Amino acid sequence: MIGCGIDAGSRAMKIVLMDSEGDRLVAAGYADQIPDQARLARELLEETAAKASLTPRDISRIVGTGYGRPLISRADTTVTEITCQARGVRSLLPEVRSIVDIGGQDSKVIFLDVLGVRDFAMNDRCAAGTGQYMEMTARRLNVSLPELGHIASFSLRPAVISSMCAVFAETEIVSLLASGTDTEDIAAGVFRSIAARVAALAGSKLEPPVVFTGGAALIPGMDKFLSEALGRELTIVPDPRMSAARGAALIACDEMRSCAAGP
Amino acid sequence: MSEPPPEDILARFAGMVDQCYDYAEAAKSQGRPVVGITCEYTPREIILAAGAVPVCLCGGALETIPDAERTLPANLCPLIKSTFGYHVQKSNPFLEWADLVVAETTCDGKKKMYEIMAESRPLYVLELPQKADRSEGLERWTEEVRALAAALEARFGVRITDEALRQAVRLMNRERGLRRRLADLMALDRPPLTGRQLLDLKSLISGQEADLERYESLVRALEGGASSPGSPRDRADKPAPVRVLLTGVPTVHGAERVLDLVEAAGAVVVAQENCTGLKPILEDVDAEAADPLRAIAEKYYHLPCSVLTVNDRRLTSLADLAKKFRPQAVIDLVWHACLTYDVESFRVRRLAEDELGLPYLKIETDYAPSDSARLAVRIEALFETVRSRKKAGGSFR
Repeated sequence: MIGCGIDAGSRAMKIVLMDSEGDRLVAAGYADQIPDQARLARELLEETAAKASLTPRDISRIVGTGYGRPLISRADTTVTEITCQARGVRSLLPEVRSIVDIGGQDSKVIFLDVLGVRDFAMNDRCAAGTGQYMEMTARRLNVSLPELGHIASFSLRPAVISSMCAVFAETEIVSLLASGTDTEDIAAGVFRSIAARVAALAGSKLEPPVVFTGGAALIPGMDKFLSEALGRELTIVPDPRMSAARGAALIACDEMRSCAAGP
Repeated sequence: MSEPPPEDILARFAGMVDQCYDYAEAAKSQGRPVVGITCEYTPREIILAAGAVPVCLCGGALETIPDAERTLPANLCPLIKSTFGYHVQKSNPFLEWADLVVAETTCDGKKKMYEIMAESRPLYVLELPQKADRSEGLERWTEEVRALAAALEARFGVRITDEALRQAVRLMNRERGLRRRLADLMALDRPPLTGRQLLDLKSLISGQEADLERYESLVRALEGGASSPGSPRDRADKPAPVRVLLTGVPTVHGAERVLDLVEAAGAVVVAQENCTGLKPILEDVDAEAADPLRAIAEKYYHLPCSVLTVNDRRLTSLADLAKKFRPQAVIDLVWHACLTYDVESFRVRRLAEDELGLPYLKIETDYAPSDSARLAVRIEALFETVRSRKKAGGSFR
């Protein structure tokens, strides 16, 4: 039977289909968010199923996650991205003890032990320390996100960006540009400040192995800044944007099995 | 005689503001002064003994904050801003009726706000000694409490007799006792109220005979097996909700959003260790004491507010409440820019995780609903964790 996870994130929607027999990956799909999330979920689900020559009717159970989870009307249950992320990463790396996730508008740290999630920390109202903040910086510096990572690696003197708020950080970047600071130093300064914010969330409880997930894990060099701030080696899972959707699909498979086993 | 169903009594309290309005208006017309209070350290007994009506003025409305921010800094606790906003807008009838506002030196934000409020309203400030459990502190506080009594006598031209004080003490003890009995029902496996319903039973005006009779009737009904709609006892067919101990700042009228998010996520708040919950009602005043003002001072001096140093009593109280109400998680609510509760959360987390073996979630927010979806993620994730670890037979220690 096919279990499906739909992760309606702030930046993108991710769908993963798993076969409950052997928890085998069947297909995966990714699309940028649009205002009509319900439509996007419908279309992406059809598209993803079609990759495995399936239709949405072949899917037995759907678990919705991500901030848009209440809008996925086809979901049988919804589970938070914290639980889904942990489930997804554990399926790829069972010995994981900490997960650092930087998504579009959230950054979070999840602490695990042999039983699963033990504790977690998330950023507050502010977007400093999230993917949105990196996108804003890239826009200001007129480069793409991968380029932002690339140029940051050339910085010898990263700029100091101290604002605790993404909006103020933007004005700080504007004044750095006005004072003639090199773009690579600004890029490196932004990465450093994000890494520092995430390290503050992690506190002193971070135990190895530490896995880095979320869209930010794909930006070249972000892992190095983060690893430096955390004082820990990081592992990036394959396809770090998809691991929460994968977890949701696995939870759908778990739920089908426990339903089949009876109460 | 059969008791009215719990929902009827809850409906009376749901309309509590209107009912308090009528009560205060009637009291005013009979010549009884109205005294506004903004903190649980202010002894209602003395105000009642002076023949006045004590009304809680703590603001829980987002709508009054923009007007407050024209005078106060934006980066300030929402409770202070909202209260001050009502003052600026003159939109809280109870404040407008108040012949006097009794304030206190608890947190710095309130203390400095009162200075500005006092420019246009009669305001009396009680000075709270901030070192906890010190005999010199209690002596000093007792003097403050005596001075308040003298100030009320002078202002309202009355004499506060020991007998009037003892009568007020008995009234407040009865009210606290009844509220404790209602709160104690939350210790049951299937509480007959939700945390929100219990919170709604707290009135803006204490000591109203009609309310006390309603409490008595509700206590009898619930102890007799009745339940209110939506409570865990009422929904016995549903899986038992996660039991939560809520601590931290008060959730004053209008600012119940986080409590509602917690209960909407499949939990029941079994204990509220804050100033709108159990904190001020756990202890009574000795009604037989030879010196009633001293006895009153003593009870209030024991309140474990985060402005005190060192506030060990709060931790002891939390541990006692955890034992009695058997929570599965501790949620610590901190209003944005409330420094003392924010810093103290470090000790609360350590108590919860290391000593009580309970998962701990701190929520720092204000009155704006813009982060509700984000808070819901954390709250739901906490309960998913509690449930999955329970299933796996694991603890949080």
